[in-house]
Amino acid sequence: MKRIFDAQLIGPFAAMVIVAMIVALTTDRFLNPGNLSNLFLQVSIVALIAIGSTVVIFAAGIDLSAGSMVALLTMILAQMLKFMGLPLLLGLPLILIVGGVLGLLLGVITSYGRIPSFITTLAALIAFRGLALTFNNGSPIFSLDPGLEPIFYGKLAGIPLPFFYLLFFYALAAFTMNFTKLGREIYAVGGNPAAAVLTGINVRKVQAITFAIAGFMTAVGAVLMSARLNSGSPNYGQTLELQAIAAAVVGGASLAGGRGNILATFMGAMTIVIVQNGLNLNAAPSSVQNIVLGLIILLAVGIDMWRAELSALLSSIFGKSTSEKRG
Amino acid sequence: MSDTTPLWEFSDISKAYPGVLANDKVCIKLMKGSIHGLLGENGCGKSTMIKTLSGVQQPDSGKILHNGEEVQIPGPLAARDMGIATVFQEFSIVPTLSVGENIFLGNMPRSRFGVIDWVKVHSESARVLKEMDIDIDPEAITGDLSVGEQQLVEIAKAIAMDASMIILDEPTAALGEEEIEQLHKLLRNMRSRGTAILYVSHRLDEVERIVNEVTILRGGCVVSAAGETEINVSEIVSAMVGGDVGEHYPKENNSTEVVVLRASGLKTKLGVSDATFELKRGEVLGLGGVLGSGRTEIARALFGVDKLTSGSVELDGASVKFRNEMEAIQAGIALVPENRKTDGLFFNFRASGNITAASLAGISKLGLLDLAAEGAGTERLMNELEISAQAEAKTVNFLSGGNQQKIVIARWLFAEAQVLILDEPTQGIDIGAKIAVYKLMNALTRAGKSIILISSDHDELLAMSDRVAIVQHGTIKKVVDANKLSHDDLVRASADQTHHAPQEQAAS
Repeated sequence: MKRIFDAQLIGPFAAMVIVAMIVALTTDRFLNPGNLSNLFLQVSIVALIAIGSTVVIFAAGIDLSAGSMVALLTMILAQMLKFMGLPLLLGLPLILIVGGVLGLLLGVITSYGRIPSFITTLAALIAFRGLALTFNNGSPIFSLDPGLEPIFYGKLAGIPLPFFYLLFFYALAAFTMNFTKLGREIYAVGGNPAAAVLTGINVRKVQAITFAIAGFMTAVGAVLMSARLNSGSPNYGQTLELQAIAAAVVGGASLAGGRGNILATFMGAMTIVIVQNGLNLNAAPSSVQNIVLGLIILLAVGIDMWRAELSALLSSIFGKSTSEKRG
Repeated sequence: MSDTTPLWEFSDISKAYPGVLANDKVCIKLMKGSIHGLLGENGCGKSTMIKTLSGVQQPDSGKILHNGEEVQIPGPLAARDMGIATVFQEFSIVPTLSVGENIFLGNMPRSRFGVIDWVKVHSESARVLKEMDIDIDPEAITGDLSVGEQQLVEIAKAIAMDASMIILDEPTAALGEEEIEQLHKLLRNMRSRGTAILYVSHRLDEVERIVNEVTILRGGCVVSAAGETEINVSEIVSAMVGGDVGEHYPKENNSTEVVVLRASGLKTKLGVSDATFELKRGEVLGLGGVLGSGRTEIARALFGVDKLTSGSVELDGASVKFRNEMEAIQAGIALVPENRKTDGLFFNFRASGNITAASLAGISKLGLLDLAAEGAGTERLMNELEISAQAEAKTVNFLSGGNQQKIVIARWLFAEAQVLILDEPTQGIDIGAKIAVYKLMNALTRAGKSIILISSDHDELLAMSDRVAIVQHGTIKKVVDANKLSHDDLVRASADQTHHAPQEQAAS
């Protein structure tokens, strides 16, 4: 357990708590049970997709495709449920598989095709949105299946179901990253790809797998998106990929790869959603929300980039040197 | 100003980092026209001193005198303006720029209109390179040059700014024997023109050859000031380590007659033209030759990195063909790369993650890591190899070079590799850690493992190998018993032809 809950969680956790306290003090409705469970609903889609984005970042890649892939997958799901008449129990696993396969495809192009993931997934970001528009003449599809909405709005023991999805997938992700061979290989590939090659790690395969994971988690997000509105639309998921990356970054994942804690990504996502919630409760216009989100990202990455300077500053004030000395 | 006034005098310089006093009242005098060696083990405070000298950091106390007048060096730019040029251990060249651009980086000659004067950039760099007697095209892209040539460009930078003092931190770490000679010639030239040179190196044989005076640091203090110690290796070593180190090269002969690996007629498109040799169980086979002779390339071919265009490899009597590194590792071959920072270590991991990286399949069942086995194995190896306990408390970037190198080797002990290829295993680590690596090599061969040793340090290569294969132009010319070979033989045998490296990047 010590392995999972390590020091890398302290910063993001503190940020989340501080933001929550500020919002709680400046509004009177933040701590209402209704508002809190609403928070979980709000954060769920981004936070689930962010698991995949973070795993890709751990392996020193980047996934920009998530938002458009959500739109594409909701349209494919809608097509299957509404026009092809597939039952929900068949449609859902199928769409998860499609998501995983699309992710794997991007991963294979990136690692075996030696195209930087920024480019591969940027191309996918553009192309998937276009592909989504080819379904149903580019119009949204509504009222897909009566069984769909409870997936998002249902409750178990009074707690919204998305809470349990988050619990399940974050537990699984934390377990994978810390206790499995794959997790270790992902960190190794992100930490030093050249050394990973020389230690016999199949770097390309590992990279490709991270994108498959990202595609799968995007599909999970897409299912919730469809369930939330019982529909599919080529316009869903705009900027979701950036929010997911923002969650990873606010959670302290290093874009250089190899460093970060997957649970911190959840805290990053929560921090962002709490800020948005606080601004909503204070009736701030959406323009302000975007500005604030931008500043949060800048601040979080700044802290990451200035880590050396900041820790040198801190260590010159408090104790031990963290900078290496060599003779 | 008389001739006895030092160009630079650093007096009672102290610098503390939190928890450590890195420099404790260090005094150094640098005279014009003199090469001054600054020596000491890792962590003795050399780097701290260099940073102070080059204005990267400020001392906590002490005086700096320039031509007898007290001055301050507030920053690297100020140091440059005062004529101090520093060639750091880590290169500061930009690989995508041309040689000329790098030489004048930050100091580009401009024409009347404020535009960069390209003609002058290239003609001036050509002049500097010619002066240095280096055959490099100023318009070549620096990243395409060999590591040794890049290092020379780095030094050309210092010369181009007409420095009155040059600080060289491990300038030869990446150079082959001939390039070292070239550099030394250059330094002697500069010395005769009155430049003060501060020379920091772990290669004591070199120091013996070139410096006029040495200052030796230990634990942040000067233990032997200029003129106090005779410039010979054994005196220097005992001053550095502070006592008798015992045998400098504790070689054990563990070679058997059983052939483990047999390479016949290896040839690749990347610098190996004909390599034939046998490696016996428990043997250390040295590969001797100049930088660029194809030693590393032979290792890459054995390891499955570069494809064989002809020739064959037999391992334990069975013919093998590795399509990639993974297959070579599975067959029990390991490569400890020359550059442990870029190719060896995972700086995001602690010791354990680094040690088990090549054995993840071995310590996992159904994809689950056996963390207990990992912990136990790490602890055992850390004890056996005397790796600092810090290694498991923090990520490995905080460790000394010696500890880092032990961790990379420990990885292959954990993986139980049968054949280890060690590429410059003691480069950039201090004498104490070097001896530890040598002892480790003994322990490996004693356990029946075989080692292919690549080293540019000829003394080390001769002392630690059982046999030495002489490599020229990607060809193994002959394999000789190490004790029948003298230092001079080796230098002559490996360098008696033109020194041009095989064309390496023809196809990329």
